[in-house]
Amino acid sequence: MKELRRLFPQEFIDRYSKFIPDFDIFLEAMATPLPTVFRVNNLKATPDKVLPLLSDFQPEPLPYYPFGFVARKGEGLGKTISHFIGLIYIQDAASMIPALVLDPKPGERILDLAAAPGSKTTQMAAMMNNTGLIVANDISLDRVRGLIGNIDRMGCLNVAVCRTNGLSIAKTISGFFDRVLVDAPCSSEGTIRKTREALNRWTVKATQRFSMLQRGLIRAGYQALKPGGVMVYSTCTIAPEENEAVVAALLKRYPDAEIVPFQLRGFVTRPALTEWEGEAFPEVVKRCCRILPQDNDTEAFFVALIRKPINGTD
Amino acid sequence: MEQIDFLRLRFGLPANWLEGLKLIKEQETIFAGTSEVMQFDRLKPLRRGIRLCRLFPHSVKPTTFAMQILGKSAQKNLIEVNDEQAKGLINGSAIEIDARVENGFVLIVWQGFVLGVGLYKKPVLKSHIPKVRPVE
Repeated sequence: MKELRRLFPQEFIDRYSKFIPDFDIFLEAMATPLPTVFRVNNLKATPDKVLPLLSDFQPEPLPYYPFGFVARKGEGLGKTISHFIGLIYIQDAASMIPALVLDPKPGERILDLAAAPGSKTTQMAAMMNNTGLIVANDISLDRVRGLIGNIDRMGCLNVAVCRTNGLSIAKTISGFFDRVLVDAPCSSEGTIRKTREALNRWTVKATQRFSMLQRGLIRAGYQALKPGGVMVYSTCTIAPEENEAVVAALLKRYPDAEIVPFQLRGFVTRPALTEWEGEAFPEVVKRCCRILPQDNDTEAFFVALIRKPINGTD
Repeated sequence: MEQIDFLRLRFGLPANWLEGLKLIKEQETIFAGTSEVMQFDRLKPLRRGIRLCRLFPHSVKPTTFAMQILGKSAQKNLIEVNDEQAKGLINGSAIEIDARVENGFVLIVWQGFVLGVGLYKKPVLKSHIPKVRPVE
């Protein structure tokens, strides 16, 4: 176990062993490579047509998403013809959860505030059966190019791609969207299983820097929501500064915002924290969910479902 | 638009193949998307919907991405290819194939799915599939 602990910065261990249960099991999961998971693009094909083409990869269904599959032999999946023509999209299972929790419906107006590279945009387009409107926004031109590439490959006809500073988006468009996804830029601690890059550049200061940006983005997303609309705030990181503290800051600004509890059948989640480093969060923040890598063999994630009341403040 | 009728007839597509979609012409390209997307003009969108086709003085070229999603029910001017031929075409090669289709733009079909657009001049099928990354 000492060997395992040496893979992580001491400060990382000191911080997270305080609240992550079964901490050694957590570390072990974080040090294990991710399985290759993909979803079938139901805009182009059904699983029964696609899976026979991928039998060499030994796909097995995910219990919580009928279009999601884990490839028991995943190497080379991204270089198949099926992938090239957009029959499948390779995406970690935890990364599929925010869109499933947001649950966009056909014909609705959706904002994906920090959309690139488009995993969740294209997933939502498929969930909406290519109807309605998704505004897929990202500030980085390079990342927008990748976003457009994925939208083309997956055949999304219901997406408008914009390149606006997410922090100021509500100045142009407020109270407009039925649902908003704020999958915020973050310190990406949860992606360590995919690449150790996030760990190499990990510092506590970085999590605090991201927290400031995230507080602005969650507020902008909330303002863009129409009354009665719902928003998902998610990150692929562990730091409470980037998760619970961001949701708590929104509640402080908009006390009537409602944190909605949710569950996905067959998918294990843990309640969020109500306290971190001396800061107490409102009790309702516990309704947000933490996704730990050892529970479903995924990346680590944080997901909050937030509703704007019909007569809510803007 | 006559160019759209040309595509429908060329590939034997049903009359409702673009049902529910709105088309917008920008310079020499026609884009297709849901009406909500094509009417959305706030936030200065960089892109709405996907490129349906490009217009040339004497022809119209459908795009691979549009035909993959909108050409699923095409009946005419289709060329079926096997795995090896598909990989070669994706990687930009031309292949020789004896197909009963008219010369001109065709849809290349692999395992029942539209792989992309090709240009056929008997017996050579030239790939017009955007080269993104090699397929093994």
